[in-house]
Amino acid sequence: MTQVARNDGAPGGAQPDGLRAEARRRRLTTAAFLAPAAFFLIIWLVYPTVATVWRSLFDRSGDEFVWLSNYKAIFTTDTLVKALQNNVLWVAVVPALVTAIGLVLAVLTERIRWQVAFRLALFMPMAISLFAAGVIWRIMDEKDPSQGTLNASIGAVRDALGGSGSVLPNAVPSTEGLTGSLQTGFYVKAPVQAGGQALIGLTGIAPTALPASAKQAAAPAAAPGTITGVVWRDFKPGGGTPGQVEPEELGVPGATVELRKSGSTAAIQTAKTDDAGAFTFKDVGSGDFTVGASKDSFGPPYAGVSWLGSKLINPAVMIAYIWVWAGFAMVIIAAGLAAISREVLEAARTDGATEWQVFRRVTAPMLAPVLSVVFITMLINVLKVFDIVLSVAPASSQDDANVIALAMWRTSFGGVNDFGLGSAIAVLLLVLVLPALALNVRRFKREQ
Amino acid sequence: MAGVTLDRITKVYSGDQRAVSDLSLDIADGEFLVLVGPSGCGKTTALRMIAGLEDITGGELKIGDRVVNHVPSRDRDIAMVFQSYALYPHLSVYDNIAFGLKLRKAPKDEIDRRVRTAAKSLDLIDFLERKPRALSGGQRQRVAMGRAIVRQPAAFLMDEPLSNLDAKLRVQTRAEIARLQRELATTTIYVTHDQVEALTMGDRVAVMKKGELQQVAPPQELYDRPVNLFVGGFIGSPSMNMFEATLRKEADGSLRADLGGQSLTLDPELVAARTGLGAYIGKPLILGIRPEEIEDAAIDPAAPADRRLRGVLKLREALGSEIMAHLEIEATPGRTDDSAELEADLGLSALGSDDTRVATLVARFSPRSKVELGQTVEMRVDTRNLHFFDPTNGLGIYERPPADHPPAQPAATQAAGDDSVSQPEGANS
Repeated sequence: MTQVARNDGAPGGAQPDGLRAEARRRRLTTAAFLAPAAFFLIIWLVYPTVATVWRSLFDRSGDEFVWLSNYKAIFTTDTLVKALQNNVLWVAVVPALVTAIGLVLAVLTERIRWQVAFRLALFMPMAISLFAAGVIWRIMDEKDPSQGTLNASIGAVRDALGGSGSVLPNAVPSTEGLTGSLQTGFYVKAPVQAGGQALIGLTGIAPTALPASAKQAAAPAAAPGTITGVVWRDFKPGGGTPGQVEPEELGVPGATVELRKSGSTAAIQTAKTDDAGAFTFKDVGSGDFTVGASKDSFGPPYAGVSWLGSKLINPAVMIAYIWVWAGFAMVIIAAGLAAISREVLEAARTDGATEWQVFRRVTAPMLAPVLSVVFITMLINVLKVFDIVLSVAPASSQDDANVIALAMWRTSFGGVNDFGLGSAIAVLLLVLVLPALALNVRRFKREQ
Repeated sequence: MAGVTLDRITKVYSGDQRAVSDLSLDIADGEFLVLVGPSGCGKTTALRMIAGLEDITGGELKIGDRVVNHVPSRDRDIAMVFQSYALYPHLSVYDNIAFGLKLRKAPKDEIDRRVRTAAKSLDLIDFLERKPRALSGGQRQRVAMGRAIVRQPAAFLMDEPLSNLDAKLRVQTRAEIARLQRELATTTIYVTHDQVEALTMGDRVAVMKKGELQQVAPPQELYDRPVNLFVGGFIGSPSMNMFEATLRKEADGSLRADLGGQSLTLDPELVAARTGLGAYIGKPLILGIRPEEIEDAAIDPAAPADRRLRGVLKLREALGSEIMAHLEIEATPGRTDDSAELEADLGLSALGSDDTRVATLVARFSPRSKVELGQTVEMRVDTRNLHFFDPTNGLGIYERPPADHPPAQPAATQAAGDDSVSQPEGANS
């Protein structure tokens, strides 16, 4: 088309009139086809871009021309600098992780039964809007284990592993003979001497809180020179006598028991109870002693990780984002994987490569073009990340989770209403995305 | 270097598909064995089992003295050349060839020396820095060869390595591979569907059909003494002409074969060698005549009259060095399950009509023959080299079997005994 136009306009071109008319008609046709697209591009793309750049040179109200001071503000305002730092973090971490996880998922789901089902499940997050995905993760990230799925899971795992701190979180003494609290430990009020016994009965213990190894509580027989005793769940279904070890009452295994000189707070000896809850201190010597289950035996209930607090908000948002996009990366990479000739992989195997070497030295390099598509696509997406940060991070954490796009929105519409500064942030974002775009365009051209 | 032994190797895919049944082969150290057969006969599956790319369902595979049924491919010390060459597209020619050595952590100068030696013998020195996509088909093929020879493995496995080359290059590369193999004296198992490759390259050739081994023999023996109808029809191009015939004893003691309206006197030499024929006098059998045994009688006027056939020329293909003449003759075609299979493999249906009284015969005439289309042609047949097959089991008829061993089973060959011949009426209706 341009060829025709140039020939047509060449001076001294001795072309017959018919040809010239033909050329004009073709140019008109071209223009007619291009006009609608050009019209909308100008209205929706060119004009807003130019207007935004222009607006970014004015102050908040738009009355005063302030040159580049809005841009200066970006680099001097704390929350905006934080947004820039966070964006750098996002760019450094997320595209690489999404690509790597996508690759692993693609390879793992390559030759398995139910492949479609697995891939569908992994790709499903793409069907949800990023904002909705953010809302889901925000609920899962709640700190209270009774609300947030993540913390509930962590708590359950800790309990299952018998982790510290969460044992017997609600225990109380069964009789007045004990003193103390969960924070100090429970001690027998009356002093104990060598040859004596210490009974430490506790209630408020859920049946499930005791390990499966717990047996019928039994105090060891008293012996001279030693102090013996038992820590047990002093609760008998259908009633019983508090302070007495009775049948069907279980010992508390693994509780830490301390022996102190009366009046002192320093432990002379410590012991762990056995499965029957029994413990023994040997060769205690003479004098009065205080015996009790130390505070190590108890602990406050699991409080949960503060995912949405200022420290972990960035990882929390990133995890949600990676969860959404890893499926997408997997599908693209799986397509690339399917295109690799099986014979090449077999050739590597007969050449002596282990499966890992086949992956490292053949599969991965052959996938490089696909991996770079995914990586650059994610790079552009991550630079523009906005809605998932807004939906995962509560207002109180948004300063810490701030990213450029969110900062732009908050500055322009989120109460600050500074359209000059907001426009400047938008222009900065555009400038940052341009190199990645250029990279992609160049790659597309090379492929053609 | 080592021999390769297959002992009753079997491959059954899920769904009871038997790809390879009880394949036993003993390949000597340094031998060039060609596995040949129509597509789907299991030859590639057999090769892939030897390579360790396919699990072995049953039987025992030995490389050297080691049973390798469960040894992964990388530890079998074999090198494979694939039909698609399977070069690593992201590596240069040099790195493609060096790949296996690098994995084995060979010293750098050793790798360099061996890669360059291999590249020199394959004429690849000028292309070492190129990527495979910048090479021609023949060069890629040579890189694939280089990758195999540089490792000096116990055995080469080649899966139709020439089928992606054009005809001229194929002939050249064929000779090249045969030369290399002789120089290196490395045990080689070569899969092809091309009988010319099989016959020209192999020390021995193993013919397979539907997963079963038909015959293993040196090329000339395969051509001269096909163990059954299938091998007879498969080896030789164009294929052997097969007719239903009946043997008749003449008053002078000579044997004549009746083919419908015509008959041929068998050469006494042939009758003396094929003692097994005695049992078939007066009975139907299948007569095989190779196209190269038939000549235009006008070229050889001295030929005896009782060794001639007549037919109408339907197609004449002049190849310069010879003329392929397709004629219709009055005889009953020897149609069998095997011939149907061979035709399907070649993508032909029998030329000519379905009339069981008319058979098509292909002959190789001298280029000086003046035969013309539509003409009735008198042909002389060299009856010293005819082939006979039992119509019930398809086995070739050679020496008379020893009295206590009823069916004929030539030595060093194995035959599938269930090749039954369907009635021609049934095959054609």
